[in-house]
Amino acid sequence: MTDLSFRGTGAMRLAGFTSPVVGWTLFAVACYLALPLARTGRAFLPLDYGLHPVVLGPALHWLVVVAAVAVTLVYGRPASSGPQVRRRADRALLAILVGVAGLGISLFAEAAPFGFGALGAFLGLAIAAGAALSEGNRVRGDAFTGAGIVLCLTFVTLFITYPLLMVLRSAVWVDGTLTLAQFAKTFSSPLFLFVSNRFTDVDEARQVALWAAAGTAAGTAFGLWQTRTTALPRRLVLVALWLVGGAIGGWAVGIMLWGRGALPSTLLVAVIVAPSATLLGFALALLGQRTNSRVVRGCLGVASVLPFITPPFVIGFSMIFLLGRRGLITYDILGISPFANPLYGIVGVSLSQILGLAPVAYLIMRGSLNSLNPALEEAATTLGASRWRVFRDVTWPLVRPGIAASLLLASIESISDFGTPLVLGGDRNFLATEVFLALTGRYSQSEASVYGVVLLLLVLLVFLASRWMLGVRGFATVTGKPASGAFLPLPRGLEWGLLALAGLWLAFILSLYGVIFYGSVVELWGINNTLTLRHYVEFRNTAWPVVWYTIQLSVASAIPAMMLGGLIAYLVTRHRFWGRSYLEMGSLLSFATPGTVMGLAYILAFNDGTLLMTSTSAIIVLALVFRNMPVAIRASMSGLAQIDRSLEEASATLKAGSGTTMVRVLAPLLIYPLLAGLIFAFVSAMTAVSQIIFLVSAGRNVATVLLLSRVERGDLGVAAAMASVLIVLLLALIVVLLIASRYLDARNRGKGLSI
Amino acid sequence: MNRSIRAEPAAVRLSGVVKRFGQGAPAVDRVDLQIAPGELVTLLGPSGCGKTTTLRMIAGLEDPTAGSIVIGDEDVTHLPAEKRDVTMVFQSYALFPHMNVRANVGYGLRVARRPRAEIADRVAEALDLVGLGDYADRSVDALSGGQQQRVALARALVMKPRVILFDEPLSNLDAKLRQHVRGEIRALQQRLGLTAVYVTHDQEEALAISDRVVVMNAGRIEQQGSPRELYARPATHFVADFIGSANSVPGHYDGQAIHLGNARIAHAQEIAPGPVSVIIRPEAVRIADDGLAARVVSVAFLGPVIQVTFATAVGAITANLPDDSREDLREGADVALAFGPRGVHLLAPVAS
Ligand SMILES: Nc1ncnc2c1ncn2[C@@H]1O[C@H](COP(=O)(O)OP(=O)(O)OP(=O)(O)O)[C@@H](O)[C@H]1O
Ligand SMILES: [Mg+2]
Repeated sequence: MTDLSFRGTGAMRLAGFTSPVVGWTLFAVACYLALPLARTGRAFLPLDYGLHPVVLGPALHWLVVVAAVAVTLVYGRPASSGPQVRRRADRALLAILVGVAGLGISLFAEAAPFGFGALGAFLGLAIAAGAALSEGNRVRGDAFTGAGIVLCLTFVTLFITYPLLMVLRSAVWVDGTLTLAQFAKTFSSPLFLFVSNRFTDVDEARQVALWAAAGTAAGTAFGLWQTRTTALPRRLVLVALWLVGGAIGGWAVGIMLWGRGALPSTLLVAVIVAPSATLLGFALALLGQRTNSRVVRGCLGVASVLPFITPPFVIGFSMIFLLGRRGLITYDILGISPFANPLYGIVGVSLSQILGLAPVAYLIMRGSLNSLNPALEEAATTLGASRWRVFRDVTWPLVRPGIAASLLLASIESISDFGTPLVLGGDRNFLATEVFLALTGRYSQSEASVYGVVLLLLVLLVFLASRWMLGVRGFATVTGKPASGAFLPLPRGLEWGLLALAGLWLAFILSLYGVIFYGSVVELWGINNTLTLRHYVEFRNTAWPVVWYTIQLSVASAIPAMMLGGLIAYLVTRHRFWGRSYLEMGSLLSFATPGTVMGLAYILAFNDGTLLMTSTSAIIVLALVFRNMPVAIRASMSGLAQIDRSLEEASATLKAGSGTTMVRVLAPLLIYPLLAGLIFAFVSAMTAVSQIIFLVSAGRNVATVLLLSRVERGDLGVAAAMASVLIVLLLALIVVLLIASRYLDARNRGKGLSI
Repeated sequence: MNRSIRAEPAAVRLSGVVKRFGQGAPAVDRVDLQIAPGELVTLLGPSGCGKTTTLRMIAGLEDPTAGSIVIGDEDVTHLPAEKRDVTMVFQSYALFPHMNVRANVGYGLRVARRPRAEIADRVAEALDLVGLGDYADRSVDALSGGQQQRVALARALVMKPRVILFDEPLSNLDAKLRQHVRGEIRALQQRLGLTAVYVTHDQEEALAISDRVVVMNAGRIEQQGSPRELYARPATHFVADFIGSANSVPGHYDGQAIHLGNARIAHAQEIAPGPVSVIIRPEAVRIADDGLAARVVSVAFLGPVIQVTFATAVGAITANLPDDSREDLREGADVALAFGPRGVHLLAPVAS
């Protein structure tokens, strides 16, 4: 009897102790006891055991041990019923929170940079807390889900929300007081906005005022017309909104046309670039979808990949070769005087961005066009509509959501672009570059932050605008069974026009890339055209170590970006939990935030105190992980959307945990989206500039930043050699992967790798 | 009621029409087909036999590789779809999702620049005709599948086409609704006197609504004729098999009777005496006192009838028998089979 009951409780005990809550708490305490709690300087290594918790003496962080003991005791008691299990988990959660609080408070009070001990302890406690949440039924799902939720929420808060809040704080918190002085100072600076130029005959301020007045009138009139059926009080509000919107719009047009400074330049370029890139992309997509020529389709496909593997400012840089003051076309062929060269400024930046963004627009529009049902167009023709009529009445209205998406993306990218204005901006300045110049040139964190806040607001505004555009009407396609049938061929004239456009575009792109390569093998571009390998030798001696380091960083960031992205996508699509929309918003934010602002945010957030990480490789990796994670989320989400839930449910009924299900069932099915996410993360890490330009330090330079500095210094030969190597390297990677995916496809007919 | 929607139906003639997609066998191979004004002709055949392609060539959505297509007395072989007086009801309905019901139905008239009042009248009439008069302002994605189907029909009818084409218009509807709608389509077609070409791979549907059925196989026309003709006198084994079900057993014909194992069946048909292939419809089989010796292999209850499979000296024969409970119809029972005069048909023997 006694023997039996003893064995019974023993088994119970064992069951309690096998809970991940206990395991991870013990892991936390083991890290805490085995490793130093803090660091002396920036370096993570070597470990300094002078900062071991025992050496540091009694302090709040000892609560970690207390928490571990408490959790062990709580789980030592048997729990047989549901409520008992739940109570046990809640108590453990409380103990864990106490441990976390103790550790956190003591670390932040000391302001000592965290060490591996603290890192391990926090990680262990976070996972244990997640497990306890799930055991206590506070989140639906098993321990893996709970831990995943806690970790993702923590990461997003720590590496996206918190740094961005620091930007806001630094903009309004100057020298210890809450003030809008920095905003006032920046807004009145000619660098930001400059309207009245005394040296011109025109009264610019008057012109702007006229535009604003015209905008107000137009907005009001439109508001009145649009709300003609609305009841009065509501109508008043709506009309007032239209009035204000019209005034702002008119003023914006006014300053774009007559003003100078970062704000009008950025706006003007975005307004030029987004529609042009979208239209170009749409035209190319239309041609790509409907032309019979395989060659054209192949060329478009290849050309649409190029910008992704090219650092964003390299197109601008090669445009200097072609269209610059001593450019092949402008100087040698057209004979334009170097002083009359229009490239630097709005023209160059816009042209370069259009070329860089058209392929992005192409891919979006291609997707949008491919989702059309060809039978719709055929139906219109059988009803007597000519090709043009079909395009106007059917095709165009149905691809409008794609147009809106492309406009959104192109304007955000244009506003955020940092490298191109730096290379081609000339005497114009831009918001994204001002963030950089304010911080590194004028040493003003608060001014940089104000520019950062303005950029964020602009991006947000664009988001809302596109929401509004899309919100007008979304179409669910009405079809039973997808019909066969081919898309209508383009009208003859249009096809020839588009072919000419595409040919011009391709020729320009090719010469841009060709010119970089040519620049890398001649002594001095435009002056001394003797062939040489000098630049490549110099590249190997000085730049190759940097490229190699960049490759390592990119690999180190791509893998966590993909895993985290996959995890978040899984949690968000397959589970309902508190903080779910926060996770979605956070990742959207990190995607939409201009890179320079994120870089600034990381500097502000991780430059001192407990979270000190600047001047380490870790911060670059982290910046890249959270920058590129959203794309991995997107890729995994669209993959997950195609996988029927019943598969997971089947796995769950077989008693597999959700961790097992994810690894054994979902991951193999998601291999292509995940791989695409991984490649994208790697490639964008290799080509990133804006988000890490603040974060590089002596000995920790990355390829693109080095390349940018070479371009700025006028070392065009070496810069061209570097750019050529980077492009060829990434192109080779993509080609190898495409071939590999073909091979895999042939073996287990999955879905094609889409980048 | 139908003042304005009264088509002037046209005859359609396809001569030697070929359609080839790339290399390989043509999708449609030398098709000759004549359709009289006001006639409903069904193209019937297995999947991939070229029905849709034929239809699309009549519509002008596909350009024939060879041959000619004449509608009325105009050669339209290479005329683009928008210039033909032909409308089509698509399998996926192809309703414009960004237009409401009224705008969908009126689209063709707007393209043709008809006066507004006329458009409004004709749209209202077409919607009444398909019973959707109250739905004019609905968005098309707020309609059920059957309603969407009727909007598609109204949109095609309102144009007063000289020919109207249907590509499996009912395949997205459930079985009950399918029977109902096909009756409506047939009634409308007859009332409005439309020339119609109707594609389906459902033989029951084809038999139920057509004036004439054209059976296609591998891009060619196997046989055409009225539903009765095809059922009673299939020209090939393929047709016999495809329309209804059929037993096919070897026999010998002497000009007056068929010799089938130990049985002799009186039969008159213009066919060369000698070995033949005997097509026997399951409902033509009877149990008799005297006839072909058979043993029951299996019995299945189908509701109105029982399906019995017999083993005979000439091969397996399946019969649909009235369930008048002959107790001795058990597995293993020995019986004799007789065959009704209708439902027996001779074909040249299969070359072995
Ligand atoms: N656009 C095309 N390109 C290449 N081959 C095609 C094309 N359209 C049809 N085919 C081929 O032509 C043949 C006939 O196709 P069709 O669509 O006419 O068949 P169907 O009889 O309508 O079949 P189903 O009952 O399945 O609709 C098929 O083998 C098909 O693969
Ligand atoms: Mg078909």
